[in-house]
Amino acid sequence: MKAVLFVVVILVILALLAIMSRNRLVRANISVDEAFAQIDVQLKRRSDLIPNLVETVKGYAAHESGTLEAIVAARAKSTQATTFADVAVADGQLTQALRGLLAVTENYPDLKASTNFLALQEELSSTENKVSFARQFYNDNVRTLNSAIKTFPSSLFVKSAGVTTRPFYEVDDPQDRKAPQVKF
Amino acid sequence: MDFRKLQSANKLKTTELLFGMALLVGVVIWALMTYFGKTGIGVVPFAVGIALLSVWGSYWSSDKIVLTITGAKIVTEAENKQLYDLVTEICIAAGLPVPKIAIVEDNAPNAFATGRNPEHAVIAFTTGILRVMDREELQGVTAHELAHVANRDTLVSAIAATTAGALALLSDFILRMMIFGGGDRRDNNNDEQNPIALIASLIVLILAPLAALLLRLAISRKREALADVTAVAFTRNPTGLRRALEVLAADSTVVHQKSTAVAHMWIESPLDGSKTSQLFSTHPPLATRIATLKAMEGNG
Repeated sequence: MKAVLFVVVILVILALLAIMSRNRLVRANISVDEAFAQIDVQLKRRSDLIPNLVETVKGYAAHESGTLEAIVAARAKSTQATTFADVAVADGQLTQALRGLLAVTENYPDLKASTNFLALQEELSSTENKVSFARQFYNDNVRTLNSAIKTFPSSLFVKSAGVTTRPFYEVDDPQDRKAPQVKF
Repeated sequence: MDFRKLQSANKLKTTELLFGMALLVGVVIWALMTYFGKTGIGVVPFAVGIALLSVWGSYWSSDKIVLTITGAKIVTEAENKQLYDLVTEICIAAGLPVPKIAIVEDNAPNAFATGRNPEHAVIAFTTGILRVMDREELQGVTAHELAHVANRDTLVSAIAATTAGALALLSDFILRMMIFGGGDRRDNNNDEQNPIALIASLIVLILAPLAALLLRLAISRKREALADVTAVAFTRNPTGLRRALEVLAADSTVVHQKSTAVAHMWIESPLDGSKTSQLFSTHPPLATRIATLKAMEGNG
């Protein structure tokens, strides 16, 4: 009688462990999807800021039409991007184009002094931060999911939970490579 | 230094300390049984009940209570766009909902966060901190405070406070029972008690409240250290928080609200006017925190 009870208790514990491991995978997978949606939201916000930014800069710095066109083109591409890889590529291009614009505005003191531009600049730098934190949060979640997929015991339930390892969200940004190598 | 390793090290330390508290409860109950026999157990539910009542009410509505105690005023996005942006950015990095944001009229630079869960969180800044710190420093402070929210430190400190409170009450009850109800003991026990065990249990009962307090403060310090590390996990920028702590170290003004009830919540201890022993502090020394952040800057 005691032996039977013992076996039952062990089985219940094992079943609970199995359920928890599988749920861990499913939850991690959902978190990755949610984190990607957050990137999308922030990219959209940034996209919406651009027409206003371009108009403002045009008034003061007509000579920079090349830089402005690059931004408009990069924005158009990013709004059309649908697949994961395309979104990341377009995001990287727009990030670079915007950085180029902010660099040339240094040459236009009138523009930099305009209140409209100052408000935009704050909005834009905060949005850049939000975009980059959203990417970071996404990558953290991918890391959690991928390590759950590879480690025991959750690795046993990968098939039944229907999850696969996900790629990291990487934007091609030369400035990132130039930044001091910080390993976390 | 790797922030992920530091995070798990600090979490493990908290678990050990909480385990230490549980052990202490066990020892006190043993002392109680040694002295009074089984009937003594009757006081345990009373002590735990009173401690629960006094701590968990304030835990549950900590967001509202703290706003009243500190006089913090909630600000909206329209009222302070930059601060709202700053907090929102870290919330995105942490995957937290945006908390209520409040400002305390006080010249001393400080900040705190509380709330029973991320959905009921409040983050507050003094007018002083908003004036003396730049965006990068404020980002570090915000990340530290939201790290408390993400790590559920209001819950951790409520658990520690409840246990410490229950132990203090328990040892108080028992010591009173010894003084006024000594007769009970002789009735219940067969007088074959080991005198060494009796003396040991007496010592345990006298020292337990102090030990519980020390454990509680040690937990608070560990949670502060963890919040610093978690803040770096959010911003990936130890420099901002390190510079913010240096600003706090250089600043000699202390928040006017010297209430011990909310001392543990501030980013810098508001009570550190005098040089209290490190053992009795709610926060690790600023110098230690700065050194840890510097180590994280050094080799990433």
